[in-house]
Amino acid sequence: MKSKQRVRNDVIFIVALLAVIAIAGACLYFLRGEGDTVTVSIDGKVVATYPLDEDLVKDIHTEGDGLNRLIIRDGKAWVEKASCPDGICAAHKPIHREGESIICLPNKVVITVQTADTTNEPDIVI
Amino acid sequence: MLFSCTACGKESHKNLEKFSAYSFDYFDTATTIVGYAESQKAFDEMANKALERLGEYHRLYDIYKRYEGFENLCTINDLTDGAHRTVTVDRRIIDLLLYAREMHEQTDGMVNVAMGSVLKLWHDHRTVGMSDPANATLPPMDKLQEAAQHTDITKMVIDEKASTVTLTDPQMRLDVGAIAKGYATEQVAKWLEEQGVSGWLLNVGGNVRAVGAKPDGTPWTAGLENPEDTEADYLAYLQLTNEALVTSGSYQRYYIVDGKNYHHIIHPDTLLPAEGYLSVSIICPDSGMGDALSTALFCMSIEEGKALISRLKGVEASWVTDDGVQTVTDGWNKYVKQ
Repeated sequence: MKSKQRVRNDVIFIVALLAVIAIAGACLYFLRGEGDTVTVSIDGKVVATYPLDEDLVKDIHTEGDGLNRLIIRDGKAWVEKASCPDGICAAHKPIHREGESIICLPNKVVITVQTADTTNEPDIVI
Repeated sequence: MLFSCTACGKESHKNLEKFSAYSFDYFDTATTIVGYAESQKAFDEMANKALERLGEYHRLYDIYKRYEGFENLCTINDLTDGAHRTVTVDRRIIDLLLYAREMHEQTDGMVNVAMGSVLKLWHDHRTVGMSDPANATLPPMDKLQEAAQHTDITKMVIDEKASTVTLTDPQMRLDVGAIAKGYATEQVAKWLEEQGVSGWLLNVGGNVRAVGAKPDGTPWTAGLENPEDTEADYLAYLQLTNEALVTSGSYQRYYIVDGKNYHHIIHPDTLLPAEGYLSVSIICPDSGMGDALSTALFCMSIEEGKALISRLKGVEASWVTDDGVQTVTDGWNKYVKQ
C-alpha cells in the first residue's frame, strides 16, 4: 500500500505532466501560426482574407453591379460566376499554390493564395 | 491609378523595404510593380512615375481608342480617306514599328503587326463570344482570307526623319498586340535603370522584367504557372536579375465555339489559332523581344523555334505541348531554382 506522501507525489507528478503537455500543445498550436489563406483585394485594397482550409461561398460585390462569386472548397479557391463580360476569372483554374492568383480586370478584383510559410513563395507568378 | 502596400518587414535590408503597386488601367491587363525603397513615399514616387510612363505608351499604342491632343495607332487605323494614309506620330510609335519590322524579319514573318485586318475579325468575334457564349461564332474563313490579302508589312512605310507612318494599302490595319506590351515594359524598365533604380520587378500582364537583383544580392523568383490544372507544383521557379520573362498561353484568353477553345494567338498562315502548345515562355534580355518571340514560337514547331533562338543571343525557351509535356532549350535550366 502506498503511503499518503507517495500518492500525493504521484498526483503532483501527473498534474505537472498534464501541465507540461498542455503548455507544449498550446505552444505548438500558436507557433504553428495561421494556415494558408486567400486574400481578396478590390481596386488594390485588401478587403478580406479567408482560410483556405474552410469551405466558403462568398459574393464579392464591386462598384456598380460588379460581382465575383468566390468558392473555397477542399483547399482550393476559384471564381464560380462573375458579372464581367469576358469571364476570364470564372474560366481560371482553381488556385491553391503559394502566390497564385485569379484576376478579374473589369471588376479590379484580385484573389491571391498566401502561405503561412513564405520561404517558397515566389516574388511573382506568371 | 496607383495602389500600394508594404510587404513583410522581414525582408528589409540596409534600411530598404519591399513595396508593391498595382494598376488595372494599361494594356488591358493587370500591372504589378515590386521594388525595394527607403520608404513608402520614395517607392510611391518612383512607381507612380513608372506607371505614368507605362500609361503614355498604352495610349500611344492603343489600336481601339483615340485620345485628345495626339495621334496614336488607332488614328492610323481609322483614317480611311484616300488610298494612302499618312500620320505624323510620336517618336515612340516610330520606334515600336521599326522594332516590329525587325522582329518580323527575325521571326520569318510569324510576328506581323500588319495583320490587323485578320486580327480584328477574330477580336470582334471573340468579344461577342466571351460575353455571350450561346451566340459565339467563328469569323468566316472567306472573310479571313480576304483580310489576309492586306497584311503585307512592306506597305507600312516609315519616314523616320519626318516621324510619319503611311499605310499604302488602304485596307491594311496595324495590330501590335504581340509586341507592344513587352516593348513598353522594356522601355519603362530601361527608364528605371537610367534613374539608378535597382531591385525592382515589373509584371505587365505576363511580361516580367527584373531591374537588378534584390538588395541582398539574391535574384527574384518567378513561379511559372503550370498551364494544366494539376496537383503538381509550379512548372518551375525561375531566377531573374536583369532578364525578361514572357509567357504566352492558349489557356489565358480564349472563347468557346461548339465546345472547342479558340485562343488569341492567330497563325499568319492558317489564319486560325496556332495549335500544339498550352504555353510558350521566353527568358531573354529584352521584354519586347520576349513578347514577340513567345508569339512567334507559338506558331512554329519546337525544332523551328530552337533554330530561330539559336540565331539570337541570350534567349532561352520553354514549351508546354498540348499533352502537358515540357521541353526546354539547353540553357533554360541555368535560370531554374534548384
